[in-house]
Amino acid sequence: MKNRILRNRYSLLLVTLTIYMAVMVVEGAATGRKAQVMDFENPFFDLNLNNIDGFIERNIEVEY
Amino acid sequence: MDKFVLLQFYALVKREVLENRNLFVAAPAVLALLMLVAAIWVVSFLPDDRLVSFVEYLGVLFDGLSPTEMAPFFMVVAIPFLIVFYVCCLAYSLNALYQDRRDMSIYFWQSMPVSNLKTVLSKVFTLALVAPLFYIASIFVFYLFAMIGLIIFGVTNDVDVAGLGWMFLASVASLFLVYFSALSATLWLFPTLGWLLLFSAFARKTPLLWAVGAFILVGFLEGFVFGTQYLGNFIQSRTGNFNQYLIMSFGDVFDRLFNYDMLFGVFMGSILIAGAVLMRRFTD
Repeated sequence: MKNRILRNRYSLLLVTLTIYMAVMVVEGAATGRKAQVMDFENPFFDLNLNNIDGFIERNIEVEY
Repeated sequence: MDKFVLLQFYALVKREVLENRNLFVAAPAVLALLMLVAAIWVVSFLPDDRLVSFVEYLGVLFDGLSPTEMAPFFMVVAIPFLIVFYVCCLAYSLNALYQDRRDMSIYFWQSMPVSNLKTVLSKVFTLALVAPLFYIASIFVFYLFAMIGLIIFGVTNDVDVAGLGWMFLASVASLFLVYFSALSATLWLFPTLGWLLLFSAFARKTPLLWAVGAFILVGFLEGFVFGTQYLGNFIQSRTGNFNQYLIMSFGDVFDRLFNYDMLFGVFMGSILIAGAVLMRRFTD
């Protein structure tokens, strides 16, 4: 088995990515992972790339 | 731990720093120089009375606050350095295991009594713990020159500059926040780091194209095979908000470094780095 995995770079890449995705999917299913941006506190300035439209609109409102 | 192993690891880290001094030493030094020149240029346009009131204002701005309370304000100055650091990290990760195969120096390094594991670990160690030190040194020199300039201006214009010493202490305290921000961001993006290292060890040509192309393909296959999009969600969670890469308070350091999402990301990155270590046996 080990020899098969390490036979060439492509088989090793395939196995690595398969393990990676398997862990990712199992953990995602177990925890119900959704796309969520971790909300870390920063009272000094705020820039959220997921809400860049809102950020731009807010700045335009401030300017006018 | 065996003293020889420590010396060996030290030599590997030193090699990384010397071979990538443009990314780790020159880049922050040039940025600090540019910022200093820009600051002098801006100041040269201001009239003297404005400058005097500005220095007086700085002297009392943080009155009553301790240096650790003032430190977050100085993170604003560090943001350009952190952005350059993250860009340099990406460039370094992509080339780390590709460059020595391309110039064939891998044959020399593999003839030395150093395992592939130690070589790859030295690269990760350099990126996470050593490289930020050079950025911090550059920021410190920048603060030092700025402070000397302000003090000279204050003394020559008869302004009370006692408060500036307190401010300098705060700027030094902020360097610890910068270091922890760089460290936590490197660990937060550990899966990305592992991904780039894996394709850096894998690709015969254009590792960037391989890394991006494989990401798109794997994301597509996940949706096709499992009907899920956990990979996309995982990446989106780690890149959506710039605040994720900044630590603004000393009280947050432990929580930011040791939480489930961080540790899971480190675990996922470790899978890819293990793949990169094994991949290094293919030297062609």
